[in-house]
Amino acid sequence: MRLIIILLATIGGYVNAHQWTPTHPEMRPSHIQGLYTTEMHLFNSRKEISYYSIRVFDKDWDVVPFAAAPSLVRANYLSHHYSDIYIKKSDLKRAHYICSKSKILSTVKDPSIIASRICSKIKK
Amino acid sequence: MKQPLILLTALMACAGAYANTTSINGTVESKCIITTDTNGVYGNPSGEALSTKPTDGGVTPIVRYDIVTADAYVAKITYPDSFSSSPSLTDTVTWTGGTEAGQMSDSTMSAFNTSKVEYNNTTEFDLSVAGSVWFEVTSEAEYGYEKAFPAGNYSAVVTAECIAQ
Repeated sequence: MRLIIILLATIGGYVNAHQWTPTHPEMRPSHIQGLYTTEMHLFNSRKEISYYSIRVFDKDWDVVPFAAAPSLVRANYLSHHYSDIYIKKSDLKRAHYICSKSKILSTVKDPSIIASRICSKIKK
Repeated sequence: MKQPLILLTALMACAGAYANTTSINGTVESKCIITTDTNGVYGNPSGEALSTKPTDGGVTPIVRYDIVTADAYVAKITYPDSFSSSPSLTDTVTWTGGTEAGQMSDSTMSAFNTSKVEYNNTTEFDLSVAGSVWFEVTSEAEYGYEKAFPAGNYSAVVTAECIAQ
């Protein structure tokens, strides 16, 4: 029963979800010397959300410098977006979480809006 | 007469040879999915109060979490402590609220409520069981000392987070 519910949720049948995977991304050397990279996948099925920000944090939730093109993702409804995240080798040890957060436009006027943030933990 | 028939048969044979199959592939991997099930609505039970409780005429915001792997994530849900948009307010607003696991796909998920941790306006749940769970968030705002809220539209943001462990 549980598997059926999860499969239904994963395959489709709902319209308002935010997915950010993998859960434990692995950083690997990039083609640029001194930079490590990983690919993150965003799936937006939240109709009222069109933008997501990407951030990298250490274990105390302080911001870690990173590069992504772009770090503010425009994700249309039901679209998949793949982002390459680059972190300097010197920041690799303290980088802990890679997060995506929904950005709510000021034009959204729902009385109680839900902002979603999902954080993946970098595999050490 | 025979030649066109032979040609037609050959063409049909060729069409049959091009029949193909299409595969559907999928992967089930560890993930947390945050779904906004219901956006809340503030009821106005008295002049100085706004509340999402159904008994106060509001609608409770509900967020669904789908967890594929147990013990992989922690859920953090934060009820608002300010309005994201409102008419101009000249007095202080007192905020209260809370989060509870409501519907769940597995009865053992009731442990989420007994082991939840609350601090400031955030509630933290250890997602120790895989499945789907619906979190209900209540938010109440009181204006000044029995002062009536000015007329207008009020919006506030509930934050739902899923943090990998």
